Amino acid sequence: MTVNIELWATDGYMSTPDGNSIYIWGFTDTAGKKAQLPGPRIVVTQGDVVSITVHNLLPEATSLLFPGQSGVLADNGTGPHLAEPQFDGTGNLVSLTDFADYPGNPGANPTSIRYIFTAGNPGTYLYESGTNPHKQVPMGLYGAIIVRPADYDPAVPSRKTAYGENTGTEFDREYLIVVSEIDPVLHSAVEKGTDYNIREFKPRYWTMNGRCAPDTMFADGMGCLSNQPYGAMIMAEPGEKILIRYAGAGIENHPLHLHGNHTRVVAEDGRLLKNGTTDLSYKRFTILTGSGQTYDQIFSWSGLGYSQANPIPTTLPNLRNLGVGDAGWTLWSGSPYLGEKGDIPVGVTSFNEMGEYYFMLHSHEEMQITNWGEFPGGLMTMLAIFPAGSLGNVGTIE
Amino acid sequence: MAVINKRFGATDGHIKMPDGSEHYIFGWVDLTGIPESEIFSYRGKAQLLGPLLEVKVGDEVYLTLTNLGMPVRPDLDDSHTVHWHGFPNQIALYDGVPEASISVPVGRDFVYYYKPLDPGTYMYHCHFEPVEHIQMGMIGPLLVRPADYDPNNPLYKTAYGHGTGTEFDREYFVFLTELDSAAHHQVASVQEYDWTDFSPDYWLINGRSYPDTVKSAGDLPEQPFPALIKANSGEKVLLRYINLGYQQHSIEILGIPVRIVGQDAARPLGLNGEDLAYWKDCNYFAAGQTLDAIFTAPAPGTYPVFNRDCYKNTNAGVTPGGMVSEVQVFAAGTLPPQAGPGQ
Repeated sequence: MTVNIELWATDGYMSTPDGNSIYIWGFTDTAGKKAQLPGPRIVVTQGDVVSITVHNLLPEATSLLFPGQSGVLADNGTGPHLAEPQFDGTGNLVSLTDFADYPGNPGANPTSIRYIFTAGNPGTYLYESGTNPHKQVPMGLYGAIIVRPADYDPAVPSRKTAYGENTGTEFDREYLIVVSEIDPVLHSAVEKGTDYNIREFKPRYWTMNGRCAPDTMFADGMGCLSNQPYGAMIMAEPGEKILIRYAGAGIENHPLHLHGNHTRVVAEDGRLLKNGTTDLSYKRFTILTGSGQTYDQIFSWSGLGYSQANPIPTTLPNLRNLGVGDAGWTLWSGSPYLGEKGDIPVGVTSFNEMGEYYFMLHSHEEMQITNWGEFPGGLMTMLAIFPAGSLGNVGTIE
Repeated sequence: MAVINKRFGATDGHIKMPDGSEHYIFGWVDLTGIPESEIFSYRGKAQLLGPLLEVKVGDEVYLTLTNLGMPVRPDLDDSHTVHWHGFPNQIALYDGVPEASISVPVGRDFVYYYKPLDPGTYMYHCHFEPVEHIQMGMIGPLLVRPADYDPNNPLYKTAYGHGTGTEFDREYFVFLTELDSAAHHQVASVQEYDWTDFSPDYWLINGRSYPDTVKSAGDLPEQPFPALIKANSGEKVLLRYINLGYQQHSIEILGIPVRIVGQDAARPLGLNGEDLAYWKDCNYFAAGQTLDAIFTAPAPGTYPVFNRDCYKNTNAGVTPGGMVSEVQVFAAGTLPPQAGPGQ
């Protein structure tokens, strides 16, 4: 089938947990709305013809690249043709692909452009600006594409997979985490129209799905984060297979470390790690997610079966002898046991709902888990293990 | 299978760099077996790296963390934790993330319980305000032996178990970190440091910078782990690489390719058990990752170990220094059997 998507490239603001409001460029899929960070998720099925029209409302030309897609066509009014690098009259490269001009440019080129490609491979991909990308991509002109395998059927467990039946990629829930960085000096310079030298790029914030911790742990669509609609909390039940998709949309490479268990990397850059019948997938506890790369992984946590009937082999000290909630809040239940709640010191706010366990997922370049130097923040979220049967259909991407 | 009782103190201390500079650290000190009445004499005696934790699959490990406080910073009443980095199927209580369970205040004890499930090379570190506490030095090496490990039987002296092709005669840590002396100075001076300005000026293997890396254990009592790798020609040497810095590093051993038999405490095995071990010359890996590599010691001689990001082979900008060490190979039969990891 053909999937038609319209995106507007425009501006807006993102919020950081320390109270900053940072000017961004980005995409929205609703005319008249502000840019969101990252751009809208695009979910299609292998074999779909994907048609994406970009309407440019920015003060300079913009475009879209689709890394990992083959045979991308562009149509800026003269009919579809192979999307190709664009040069000015003197042979200077002005864009890595066909672009949409900016409104009011004397050249009066079209300010909208359509890209067409067939989603040939299942997997996780990025889309991102190919025009002044050193500025436009860090400013926020990026987003993620999920391509479902052709035989995908969420109602049939053997076909609820990342890469198709019999590829060892079955999952119960899935999460997408797109990572990037923010240098506020770049964003301020673009907002004010002043000079900025990208060689001096120095991030002070790091983002997961456009949010800095602890905002990463809020749900999707929080009203207070109107331009950052995607949460980054991973929620699972014991023994479930969780598909975690990482995408590196920034300039830097980030070693993402997940507590609780290893993940098995089943695909890189939207390609299954398989050579004929030889399975090339591998286990890691830290994934170096490089700029422009994607990693699809399967995670599962089963624990060691502790409960009141099978108690932990140590005695929990009195609460007065423990540090709880030093960050001003805690995710701890007060109990060692899954599904049980215990006492939390008076004055500490616990966000624990029903005795679920929390495991941190974060960059191990630890300055990246701060907001401008203040821990906790940045490239950090939690993976929560909830008691069996309590989660419903969370962890569904549509 | 054994019950292992360990006790680590968390406190502060000082380390030295080869240029004579001294740097304030936080860190660990081994209190195992120390009478209760004497533990406070260990305040201010943190070492870098922390003590080696060596356990076996199936062991029951009780690790008591005692927060001894910071004599140089009595104002700093930070709690501490122990996070066993990479340990599978942990429960939140013992995972050492203060935001997800508990931390240990000054003057208090807490007993962590671990049941190692999988062999390999791990690391441990404090997870309280980790950007500060890890850089300040609350880090250490952690290795898990396979259940069938037997140092007296060559077929069972392995990294990942009998029949996994990971036999070795000697083993060494290559534990990588950086030191940003400005950050350490600010912390010692009770000043704020903007961690996003992190910019190291020393690069360390096993807590030491060259030429201290090739000195013996006793030469730097607060930095007790040499980084010199020694073997007799023909012996199999297991290198346990750990990156607990905040940068990505690329470690070259000139003239000695190595076979990667483990990454992140997992053998490189496909879903159906496919053996994906491979050869490398330069090992590039990131913060929070570990590698297990094996090589057969070549002809006698000295083989340099260095960071291919050559600017990291300096001490505060002066060469030689930083992440440089040596593999020294002797004629067969020269060295007696290795007493323990890194020795």
